This record gives sequence, C-alpha cells and structure tokens, in this order.
Amino acid sequence: MKLNYRYTLAYAFITFFVLSIGFAIVYAALSRSVTQATIGQLAHLNEVVAGQLRSGRDYSAHPAQANVRISRLAAPGPPLARTVQVRYEWDATLQAQVEVVRLTTYLVVRGQAYGLTSKAAVVKPADTYFTGLVLVFAWTFVFLIALVIILSEVISWHILKPFNTTLRGIELFQLGQKSNIALASSRTREFNVLNEFLAKMTTRAQRDYQGLKEFSENASHELQTPIASMKAKLELLMDSELSEKQLTWLTTMHDELERLTKINHSLTLLARLEHYESRPNTFVNFSQLVSATEATFADLAEMKGLSIRQQVPPGVQVLFDESLAQVLLNNLFSNAIRHNQLAGEINIELTPTALVLQNTGQAPTAPVAELFGRFKKGNAALDSIGIGLAIVKRISELYGHRISYDYAEGWHRVQLTFAAPAEEAS
Amino acid sequence: MKILLVEDHSELAKSIVSYFVQEHYICEVATTFAKAREKLELFKYDVVLLDIMLPDGNGIDLLKLARQDKVESSIIIISAHNALDFKLTGLSEGADDYITKPFPLPELHARIKAIMRRRSPQQTNLLTYKDITANLESMECRINGKLLPLTRKETSLLLYLINNKGRMLTRQAIAAHLWGDYTDNLDSVDFVYQHVKNLRKKITDAGGQNYISTVYGLGYKFDAADA
Repeated sequence: MKLNYRYTLAYAFITFFVLSIGFAIVYAALSRSVTQATIGQLAHLNEVVAGQLRSGRDYSAHPAQANVRISRLAAPGPPLARTVQVRYEWDATLQAQVEVVRLTTYLVVRGQAYGLTSKAAVVKPADTYFTGLVLVFAWTFVFLIALVIILSEVISWHILKPFNTTLRGIELFQLGQKSNIALASSRTREFNVLNEFLAKMTTRAQRDYQGLKEFSENASHELQTPIASMKAKLELLMDSELSEKQLTWLTTMHDELERLTKINHSLTLLARLEHYESRPNTFVNFSQLVSATEATFADLAEMKGLSIRQQVPPGVQVLFDESLAQVLLNNLFSNAIRHNQLAGEINIELTPTALVLQNTGQAPTAPVAELFGRFKKGNAALDSIGIGLAIVKRISELYGHRISYDYAEGWHRVQLTFAAPAEEAS
Repeated sequence: MKILLVEDHSELAKSIVSYFVQEHYICEVATTFAKAREKLELFKYDVVLLDIMLPDGNGIDLLKLARQDKVESSIIIISAHNALDFKLTGLSEGADDYITKPFPLPELHARIKAIMRRRSPQQTNLLTYKDITANLESMECRINGKLLPLTRKETSLLLYLINNKGRMLTRQAIAAHLWGDYTDNLDSVDFVYQHVKNLRKKITDAGGQNYISTVYGLGYKFDAADA
C-alpha cells in the first residue's frame, strides 16, 4: 500500500470518529436547546399570567391563560423556586405521545400564594432532525475524504518527490559503477538525513567492493608468476638424473601445482566475468560454434567410446560474445564427457530457442540445485575443480539466458534457454 | 637464435634462460621496461618474450613502441592474464602469439619454433628426425618415405615431441599443447596416454622405432639420448 493511502486511511478513521462525536454533541445540544427555549417561552407566559393576577382584574378568558393552570396555595410560606417537569405523555391536541414541558412558578398576590403551571409540547429532534443531521454529517464526511484523497495525491507527490528520487537512485545503483549514487537534496530534514546516510553507505560499499575486486584480481595475477617460476624449476629438475621415487614426488608436486593453476585461472575468469559488462546486440552463429566445439571434443569422446548424436540446424543466432560462448560450450562439453560412462551417449540438440545437452552417467551425489555453486561437485571421485558450472551460469546470466540442469533415469540434462533478443538480429 | 626475455621475476627468467641455453639459443634478459627498450634499440633479436606487468611500465606499451619502430622481432606475450582477457580486450594486438602463465617450458619452446618457421618462409618446411620426416605445410608425416596414417592430434603430438626431443615432457604439458585453452579438464591427461599409445603403434606398424619412452608416472621423452 502506498504511503499516502495509509495516511488517507488513517485520516478517514480519525475523521469518522471525530464526526461521530461531533454528531452526538450536536444532537444532545440541539435537544437541550429546544427544551431550554420552550422553558424560556413558558417563563414568559407565566410572567404574563402573573401580571394579570397582580392587576386584580378577571383575565380568565384571555388566551394567555389557556395553557396555564392557576392554583391557590394554602400557606404563603417562604418563596419557592420554580420547578421544571419534563415527561412524555399523551397530548390530546396533537393526538400523539409527545414530550411535554411543565414550568411551575410561584408568586404571592395580596397575601394569597399562587402556583402557575404552564405546559407546552416539544417536538424533539429525535424524529425529524435526526435524519437531516445524519445526512449533513455524512455528506461532510464524504466531502472531506474526497478532498483528502485528492490532496494527499497532490501533496504527497510533491512532498515525497525527493524520496521517490532517492528510491530510483537506489534502484539504479550498482556496486560496480564508477560514479556515486544519484540523490537529489530536499527541504525535508528526514530525507536529507536518509540521503546523507545512503551516500555515505554506498560510497563505503563501493570503496570496499573496489578494494576487494582489485585485491582478488591482483592476487590471482600475482600468483601466476611465482607458480610459473616453480613449474619451470620443476620441469628443469625433471630433466636431470633422478630416482624413480624422486620423480614420483616431483610428479605429485607438479600435479598439485597444475591444480592450483587451474583453480586460479577459473577464479580469475569468474572474477573477470563478475565485472564484465556485456555489449548488447552482439550475435554469434551458435550453430557453427556448437558444431566446431563438438569437433574439438570429438577425439576425447571417441577415446571414451562415447557416441554423439547431434541435431544442429544451421543459422541459429544467439546473443553472446563469441569468446564467452566458447568458454561456456567448452565447459558444457567437457562436463558431458567427463561425467559420462564408458561407451555412453551424448545428445546435442539445438533449436532457435534452446540448447539441450544430454549425456549418460552416474547420478550426481550433491543436490542438483547446488551444482551451479562454486566448488560443488556432482561426483567427488572425479578430479575436477568444480567451478565450471559456476562459470557457465555466470556467462548465461550476463546475456539473460537461463541455464537449468536435471538428472533423470541415467541421463544428465543441461538446458540453456536463450533469452528472447530485445531487438531482432540485423 | 637470439631471444630477448623481458620478465621482472628473476627466478622465472633464470629458469627460462637455462632451458633455452640447453637448446643452444642465446637468451638475454631485461627486467625492466627501460632496459628492454634500450636493448631493443641497440640489438636485433629473433624473438622477444614479453611480460605485460613490468615494474616501470606496461609490456603492451613496449609492444606498440616496438611495432612503431619497425622492430622485426617476433613478439610473444607471456602474461598472467588469461586467454579470455586477451580476446575480450584485444590486448594481444600486434603480438605474434601469447602464452598464459604458468606455462610448460616445452610449450613456450614449441610456440617459438612455430613462429620462427612462419616468419622465415625460405626455411624448409620439413622437420626431420632420423627416419621420420614431417611436412609442416601439408601436415604429413612419413617414415622412410612411407606415409603415417595419423590424425590431426597425433600429428601435432609427434611434432611437439620432435621439437622437444630429449626433454622430459609431462602429460599436463602435452595436454595443454594438444587441447590448449579448450580444456580445464584435469582428466584430459588420461587422453594423452591414449594418443601416445596410438602414435607409438602407428610408428612401429610403419616399421619405425619406438622413440617415445615413458617416464614412469610423469610423462614422456622423445629420446635423442641414445641416438
């Protein structure tokens, strides 16, 4: 949910709550004021009747006395305060059950104490006003919410603009990029704090990343020369007179060194690929490349007695750098041969949308999902360094192709699904 | 043959030099960019082996300068950068070949020989060892005039053996030569065994001697010692 929607929703609840209370207050106040106004009117009527009594003349026919009952009280006693009585009763003139207000005042005229009780029926808001009041409040509510929704869009767009700019900046930011993260300054303090924090954090991350990248590249490169030197010395040593035992030791050293070299090479390649920026729209004739690679590996396959079946239609163009595509195919083909059994089979099938490479062989011992990780081997017995598939995966990802692997009924199946090219090959 | 080795790692340089001394090549060493520049201006070399990372400069710059000055030497880059780097960045432009560290010394030797042959067409295209004759253009190998039915890999294996005769050749070095960068397969060394076996058989079938001796557990020697 968008931030301003949450605000709007919260505001709607608050408004509803406040308006409801307001409605209750207004309703109560209105009811009270109607009664009060009636009492006021009755007090006035009582004054008029009291005036008539004081005058001593007979006003019994006067309309003012129609609703006033005059009662003579026995003892004058102390002056009594007026009393108000409100109750529901049947009103004959209105033919309805209504609220009737009675006001009784007391006065003494020429030694005689009188009680004047006037009454009036009150039409309460409960009946007619209520619906009207509800409507007024409902419309107010609707109008307010509509206004809030519209304004919150406009205002939040304006206020959150720097925030959204920051979000886009984060989205576009890549650790490997040379420039700093793109952030706009704003008048809002919180956003500026956030931006400052982000800028600081990304700069540090970039610096660390750069350092790490340089370190791994340099380390791999710097290792090559000493290894080369050691290998050269070993080779010179091999040419001298040595016992068989010494030769065996030398071989072991040489093999280990070889292994070190391969690991180092692969890691350098992988590091290189992590920071390789692919050039879009470079297409390579994949059909040709697959056939050529197959030919290169044909003798290796033959020695293992493998039979290769291939379905490679000509002219399949795939988005790739040629050298990288070659590395990828080499890894896939050498895997297909290495993880095969004697007199096994390899199936190569190329279509315009995918390359499927299947080979017979033993089931992998590691979980299938982990095989694309580094130093994960499907078969621990084989003398491989277990980094080939990581390289394959990285190269595929560079160009948006998808690589998948599964194993079923004695067949390893690697499928490389080509990404649909953004633009047609020209 | 005269070789200039531009390499700042002195131990590696020493090993390379001692290897080539056995081949009766003259091999001079320059450990810095400046020294290499000076030597290239003063003397003439057949081959320059060029490291890229030098303490006072970049080998690529030296390569460009040499090409500008019309230095006629063949230039082979020896670098810690791997082959893909060269392909992706065009680092090797102007060089005759490049070889990635660490490399087997016989491989370097084979590359130098191949380049020298390419650059001097007046030289014979025939490589001869005793009764074996290899035509480097048509890639045909004969024993006493009789054509050997070799595959492409076997031919290049035979040439590699002849070029490095008398040397201890490890299976890894042979595998690297035959399959190059194609394979990071460590088990490809087993295939070397197969190739050597086939080659031996074809040579003896054609009436030749078995010149390839196995050094137990290590590799092979194309034996010139008991000639």
